[in-house]
Amino acid sequence: MEKIRPVLGYIMAVFSCLISAAILPAIATLSEPLITATGLTISPNYSGGEVVQTIDHGAYETHVHRMVFDDVLIGERKEGFIQVDWTPLDALPARINEEIDADGDGQADFRIELDTASKEATLTPYATWVLELEGAYKPKGYMLVRVRLDNPSR
Amino acid sequence: MQGFLLGLANGTTCLAFCAPALIPFLMHEGQTVRQNLVMVLKFLGGRMGGYLIFGLLAWATGSLLSSVAGYEGLLIGIAYVGLAAVLLVAVLRKKAPAGSCAFEGARATLNRWPALLPVGMGFLAGLKICPPLLLAFTGAASTGTLIGSLVFFLAFFLGTSVYFIPIPFLGVFRRVSALQIVGKFAAVIVSLYYLGAGILLLAGGVL
Amino acid sequence: MTTSVRTEARSSGMAVWKAVLLMLPAALLSSLTWLGNLMGGEIDPLIVVALVASWLGFTVLFVLMLTTGKTYRYRSIMFILTAIALPLDFIPYMLETYGSMMLSEDVMFNGGASFCPLTMPMIIVPALVKGVVIFPGEILPGMAKGAFSVMFILWVGASLSVGRGWCSWGCFYGGWDELFSRLRKKPLIKHRQIDSRWRYLPFAVLLAIVLLSAITFSPIYCEWLCPFKAVTEFQAPSSALAVIQITIFALLFLGLVVVLPLLTKRRIQCGLFCPFGAMQSFLNKINIFEVRIDLEKCTQCKKCIRECPTFSLDESSLESGKPLMTCTKCAQCVDTCPQGAIAYHIKGTPLKANSIVAKVLFLYPAYILLMFLGAGSVAAALYRILMLVTTGSMLH
Repeated sequence: MEKIRPVLGYIMAVFSCLISAAILPAIATLSEPLITATGLTISPNYSGGEVVQTIDHGAYETHVHRMVFDDVLIGERKEGFIQVDWTPLDALPARINEEIDADGDGQADFRIELDTASKEATLTPYATWVLELEGAYKPKGYMLVRVRLDNPSR
Repeated sequence: MQGFLLGLANGTTCLAFCAPALIPFLMHEGQTVRQNLVMVLKFLGGRMGGYLIFGLLAWATGSLLSSVAGYEGLLIGIAYVGLAAVLLVAVLRKKAPAGSCAFEGARATLNRWPALLPVGMGFLAGLKICPPLLLAFTGAASTGTLIGSLVFFLAFFLGTSVYFIPIPFLGVFRRVSALQIVGKFAAVIVSLYYLGAGILLLAGGVL
Repeated sequence: MTTSVRTEARSSGMAVWKAVLLMLPAALLSSLTWLGNLMGGEIDPLIVVALVASWLGFTVLFVLMLTTGKTYRYRSIMFILTAIALPLDFIPYMLETYGSMMLSEDVMFNGGASFCPLTMPMIIVPALVKGVVIFPGEILPGMAKGAFSVMFILWVGASLSVGRGWCSWGCFYGGWDELFSRLRKKPLIKHRQIDSRWRYLPFAVLLAIVLLSAITFSPIYCEWLCPFKAVTEFQAPSSALAVIQITIFALLFLGLVVVLPLLTKRRIQCGLFCPFGAMQSFLNKINIFEVRIDLEKCTQCKKCIRECPTFSLDESSLESGKPLMTCTKCAQCVDTCPQGAIAYHIKGTPLKANSIVAKVLFLYPAYILLMFLGAGSVAAALYRILMLVTTGSMLH
């Protein structure tokens, strides 16, 4: 054991050099497989959650995300939000007036009227669990609104 | 049984909400596993007290949500500020300058009733209207009777408390004096966070 | 001990040809990555100049490190250059992409915030429990400068190869702390005036941010405590809360990165606050490289304790022959010791083993890391400066 330890030490030291050298190639080749294998995603509080419905308007599309009530660890919160995107930005009409089915039951749950230039938006709730407009935003290339919701299952 | 299982399913959230105050406090105290177990039981007792008060309020008014809706921010804000104060007193009490009235009073009170600290901390931690608490009320209200509600609630509480079992084992590391210092610093940082969050909630509620 | 023996004890330089030969494989390896960047498409001559100048400069500094035996001095130059270079490229990038150094909510929704390895402690628990990354950035490389996958692989690779050596050879912020700690000749606040218990603060910050980030599902350190937002990007002051957050990080930068390092000649942010450094300290335990003190040569002059920039040496170190787990392997003690009693060491090998071999084997991964991160940053900054000189603007 006493004779092997120094050998192992030097092997590990050389291995450390190889690991260091492999960082950049690993970033280039392993990024995507790593994310696919782990299934990691950006928190829905930032990403808005997965898109569950796409409405094609010809020149532009509406993406309705899932309702986000994700709790800190387990379960669902009492309140959450839903995100709706319109893309691409340069193909959007001056005003958008659209009814959105948030819970996927075929019935519209609220209406959004959106001025795509000024980002001014108005919310007309149809369901009691649709609370208020959180805000309208213009990231690069698309527009989005977030609407605060009460958890209909709670 | 249903209450206990519901508690088991959601207890990690309870632990997560209580851990920032409880873990640094226990690290700072640097006590044995058995002493930590007593502390954790006192903490849970305080938490239970907070929950029971809400339970009785809910039963008396018919609905927790309608009674506290609108006051939720103020209530949590007060709990946060209180928790920050208790945590600060807990970790700084031994080092407070002699003759300082506030700390002398607190020190004297704590010498007479040492359980006040962990119980108070648990009570204030329990006042946060966290999601598991709301689940408990929904479940308790569905039983239809006061006794049924309280039993459901107690079972739920026991289910969530299972996750606190490993916490006293921090005492295994009590000989590592560095952990006490880390615990003290961490408790101060956490209390500053709760103080800031509490003030923001209170300001939002008042404004 | 006579002066000549002391000089011989301290000097661990080697002949220039040996140093060049040793560094050649690593230099060629690092140049390959840049040659890859230049392949395909129109090549801007300014980029070529910037890349070659940066690569040559760093290689020369490494050769000097080996020939003079003054590891700390030349590492420090490269480390400080890296830190200064980052905002020189990053801020123009922010202006080009978003029109501002400030992140508006619009940008955050776009995943526009850039990751850095300092987010790792906060991300771990939510990622393990819920499979989500609690940061408004990108998972895979896209528009933002740093994506999660890139920073994660970088962090794992750097941790395995150099442990907490990241803090002195890889971190693209630590050079600011180091710069201000080196400006004065003598400290105004001496080492013995600083309570040694402050060393535990980074671990407390680490514990607090891990616990609080797990319950709030937001990156607490990034939102409230990171002083280096002053040299990269920060949230727009669109609310009273944001104004408070900006005030806090500005004060932390002034205090921990500028004023206190100036007064103490120590890396205060790195040694007494940074939670990422605290996390890396645990990873030092599994890293094969360490710094050791030869107790037979040591005369207990305690110069190393007075000089260590990150408070990683104390009386117990002089008894055990090892710095504390917070050692960043910066080589200040190695270069400072009048008896030459301190050296890099490979765990498992005899203490009396050839320290030059251990030093070179450590410098290899450290050099490669510094080349990838530091020389790359410096090249990008040089390119911006050349653009400014030739076109009058640093923006594309």
